[in-house]
Amino acid sequence: MSQPSATRRRVDPRAERAARTVLAGPRPRLLRQPAAAISNERRRDPRAIREAALVQRQPRPRYDWTRDAASAGSSAAMGVFVAAAPAIPLQVIAEPAYLVLALLDRPGGEVSDHDRQVIAAARLLADSGSDGGGGAVVTVSTGSGEALAEAGSDRHVALPDGWADDYVPERRAAAASALMAALSPRHVLFPDSADGGDVARRVAAAAGERLFTGVQSLAPDRATRQSAGGSLETGHRPTRLMTVAADAFAPLDGVRHEARPLDLAAPAIAGEEVLPRLGGARRLAVDPDALSLSETDFILSAGNGVTDWRSFAELGEALGATRAGSRVVCDAGHLPRERQVGASGTVVGARCYLAFGIAGAPQHLQGITGVHHVIAVNTDLHAEMIKRADLSIVADAQAVMPALIRLIRERRHD
Amino acid sequence: MTDPAMTDVAVLLSVGRHPVSGRARRAATDAQALEMALALRPRRLTAIHAGPAADGEALRAYLGMGLERLTLLVLPEGADPVDALIAHLHRHAPSLVLTGRQAEDGEGSGMLPYLIARGLDAAVVPDVVRIGPADAPDSAGLVQALPRGQRRALTVTGRLVATVHPSAPPARPSAFGPARRGVVEPVTAQAAADPFLSDCEHRPWRPKPKLMRVKRGGSALDRLKAATESKSGKGQLLVNPSAEAGALAIYDSLVEQGMLP
Repeated sequence: MSQPSATRRRVDPRAERAARTVLAGPRPRLLRQPAAAISNERRRDPRAIREAALVQRQPRPRYDWTRDAASAGSSAAMGVFVAAAPAIPLQVIAEPAYLVLALLDRPGGEVSDHDRQVIAAARLLADSGSDGGGGAVVTVSTGSGEALAEAGSDRHVALPDGWADDYVPERRAAAASALMAALSPRHVLFPDSADGGDVARRVAAAAGERLFTGVQSLAPDRATRQSAGGSLETGHRPTRLMTVAADAFAPLDGVRHEARPLDLAAPAIAGEEVLPRLGGARRLAVDPDALSLSETDFILSAGNGVTDWRSFAELGEALGATRAGSRVVCDAGHLPRERQVGASGTVVGARCYLAFGIAGAPQHLQGITGVHHVIAVNTDLHAEMIKRADLSIVADAQAVMPALIRLIRERRHD
Repeated sequence: MTDPAMTDVAVLLSVGRHPVSGRARRAATDAQALEMALALRPRRLTAIHAGPAADGEALRAYLGMGLERLTLLVLPEGADPVDALIAHLHRHAPSLVLTGRQAEDGEGSGMLPYLIARGLDAAVVPDVVRIGPADAPDSAGLVQALPRGQRRALTVTGRLVATVHPSAPPARPSAFGPARRGVVEPVTAQAAADPFLSDCEHRPWRPKPKLMRVKRGGSALDRLKAATESKSGKGQLLVNPSAEAGALAIYDSLVEQGMLP
């Protein structure tokens, strides 16, 4: 036996006897050979499981219990870790029966969660239409389509790169109208975000069609949304133009589609001929400390390891980050209570979180679950925060903060 | 006010709905739109509501904010107000139309400002928090609210329809005396029934469970960790660098994330 089996055959003598019975009655006749092995697969073999979890025997045994039972086994026995990445099969829709357009925001070039949810909703309409599906999802956004393949996009139409950062809703709407005319999609979905919802309403007003806004659930024959201030659920057949509410659909997981560029007869760009009425758009500077923690994008956070509060305040000003703290800091009165991050404070969704002297209590880590990029400075190498962070620096916060302030000022004067 | 772009302002007001009691009230963002219009001190301010004649009592809350009169375009219940509003606004031809971003009752699709802008051939800007004159003639300078508390300034040329964001200056409270003294002028208007809305089916909204991102596969322990714990970064680790080296690593990382210029 080369492989220690995780389950051992359990003998059930009554079942075996019943399987061998040829003639029941007062004098039963039994077959000589056992009919089939009847085993109870649910019986655990603790020794085999322990053997499979063994990573290292010398100088003392180490076990890794976190691996799942399927992947544990041969690799553990040999002591070599083999990364088995199961390849996701590519799904190709060569001849789509119809098209479902998804016009994405991609704020700052990144594919947002809301964009993925819109693609998931479009996928739902494409795979199970009222006549059995077979449609393809066409994503329309700035940037290339490669990042959208795993989100579930079959075809991609790229908008001009300059539109990613500019505020050009009129041009986006004109491009969407031109694409609708060129491709005649069955459905067009937009995210119901500030920008996506704006473009969707412009397109619907131009097309003179009904827009079904804020779709909460979707089936081939029925879409629902909230109406009357959220007190009613309104259902209708899926219309041609719809916007998808945030967090109503789960983004797709474990799929891979082509996302290949769609070859159009005419270039997808329209709207150059539109005379824009809106112009001179520019971002205004906002006082970061006036923003609430749940709103802000960049948080500078202090924990028990910070004693130099003057540097902390200066650093917040130099970085333009919203200041926040852990529970200990707010309890001690160094920061007001509404600046507390964590389970009992605010659950933040910032894009960047710079933590000084925070060890990472579970309640604090819960508060930063949604953060995209975490940078941690802490003296303890084994702190949970160091494990969580994308950039961890094991150093004293009081030394790093002034150095960072100096560096920022130097670079700014250059 | 010297600027010609903001001398003639129309405000579109709707009847709101209290989220808990369901009572008719002034709609929150519409009241903020009226506040913004009153703060502009225009030469002519027209307040318009389109709906059934029974809405008159709820509209008095707007009169209590300092309006003297308010036009009520009387429509049958369930009629589409867009055509009646466009026809009425064509007669007045205001240079600026202010309204809330979305109705608190009824369909609440937020389409009305866009359809009116289409009908009046005007520009439409959503989520405005401040309006002022711009340098160029016949244009207005706006500040728009963006997600995450950000603000964007832009200029708009020509006629404008703007919807007001909830973070605009708060509406002044409604006073009882002026609300009684103000006049609601009923004007008969023509409107067709809305076939789409009668085609929809309505039922009471039931809150849906929040979607959780569930990781598939792995052991029970893995799934529990994925559901309850934050993701562990597979990031860079610097152990006891000099303060300058650490600061430089943080700086580079922040620049890479686009947080620093």
